[in-house]
Amino acid sequence: MPGFLNRLAAPIVFLALVLIATITMVRDRGDAGAENRRDLPWWRGALLEIAIPIQRTAAAPFDALGDTWNRYVDLVGIQEENQELRTRIILLEDENLQFREALVASDHLERIAAMRDDFETPMLPAEVVGLDVSPWFRSVLVDRGNQHGVRAGHPVVTEQGVVGLITRTSPGAAKIMLVLDRQSTIDAVVQRSRARGLLRGLGAGELEFEFVVRESDVVVGDLIMTSGLGGLYPKGLRLGRIVALEEPGGSLVQIARVRPMVDFGRLEQVFVMLRRGPTLDLLYGPNAPEPPAKPELLPAPASPVDSPGPPEPPPPPGPIETARVDRP
Amino acid sequence: MKKWGLSLGAGLLALVIQGALATLVVPPWCPDLGLLVVLCLGLRWRGLAAGLVLAGLLGFSADLLSGSLVGQHALLRVLVFAGAFIAGRQLNLKGGMPLVAFVFAATLAYGIGAALISQFFLEMGWPPASVWAEGILHAVINGLCAPWVAAWVQLLGVWAGDEDGATRALPIESSRRPI
Repeated sequence: MPGFLNRLAAPIVFLALVLIATITMVRDRGDAGAENRRDLPWWRGALLEIAIPIQRTAAAPFDALGDTWNRYVDLVGIQEENQELRTRIILLEDENLQFREALVASDHLERIAAMRDDFETPMLPAEVVGLDVSPWFRSVLVDRGNQHGVRAGHPVVTEQGVVGLITRTSPGAAKIMLVLDRQSTIDAVVQRSRARGLLRGLGAGELEFEFVVRESDVVVGDLIMTSGLGGLYPKGLRLGRIVALEEPGGSLVQIARVRPMVDFGRLEQVFVMLRRGPTLDLLYGPNAPEPPAKPELLPAPASPVDSPGPPEPPPPPGPIETARVDRP
Repeated sequence: MKKWGLSLGAGLLALVIQGALATLVVPPWCPDLGLLVVLCLGLRWRGLAAGLVLAGLLGFSADLLSGSLVGQHALLRVLVFAGAFIAGRQLNLKGGMPLVAFVFAATLAYGIGAALISQFFLEMGWPPASVWAEGILHAVINGLCAPWVAAWVQLLGVWAGDEDGATRALPIESSRRPI
């Protein structure tokens, strides 16, 4: 009898594990409802809390190696880039000055200052501590969680553009689904012509912009930005640049290949926008920005907003650096 | 039990290292060390039931750090472990090239499994060619790294006092009674 049971042990364990894994996946799939279920269960949260410092420690030598490479070895074209950036700063400063003058002249500044609260979104800096290695999933792990005010559905950006969306949180960590992930779809707009479309992640390094051919003016090199209409991301955040257009043939929709603005290979620090879009509010509840428990004075991205909007007065000294975004 | 504990520790360490390594080596150039450890353990493991539990635990840990559905890596790693366990007994994978080829095929099968599960549970379409190209490249990288991870796992076996760590006695069964 024991020999018979021993022979059955492996198949029973195998079936039990397959069943447990399948049930877990079904439960995870159905978790889109309540917010408290988007926060990881205590035991998984605790495991993640343990993993984060270990992962950060493990990453330290790799980071040091990467820093050494970037600062001392990989300097090809850095001089030209510096020159180009300096020129661009001068041009932007000049443009900014002109906008300010125009607005002061039209007496809009006071009204914009009054609307400041509506437009501002607090930004929380977070450090990337881990990445998915397989091409089948595109997510990263950051060292800020719900004790810092981070919630599922908060958009994540860098100074370059949109990174993704928070999907899971524990007290001290959060998972971000990157815009590259195949589950990611964003309502986007071409900055130049305002042609609208959907920007989809492909799971690889590029994105796919799908738009209606008729009356759409889209060319290679166009900048793609969030439209704010999808309800997940605020309006005016940079997403990517069109690198190729596919022939529409007889179809009404055309596909364009988009290179993301963010260099996901060098993702180190990101900024969590501590406010959710209205669509996620419908799912999760009221849209109350939760201030972090430990306010920090860390730099916010230079300008996640790309559209030339009206200027604003310098922000008052606060616990968190902020950046203006148009509320969807 | 000692080997089981050590293997669990090694698998978790591999997950942490690969997550950190990926911040330096851009995916898909970064090897999936967690998967490699499960595969190499499967090829050398004795006692399928305990090994499956180990693979399941390592899979759930991978789910914790990854953007997958919770249970997706666990299911796939249990299947991969079982496959490696059987392959380790049916095929001669002791040489470098056979091991590289086996790990390459197993990684590709893992990717197909991941895509199928995503399609079933998340109603996502079949991945485009660019993802498959990255998947194949990732499988090649995994295959090339496999001999090193296998050597490390073998060393772990020696450390845990598991046989001689290098070879496993083949179970030769006979219906004849000993004379």
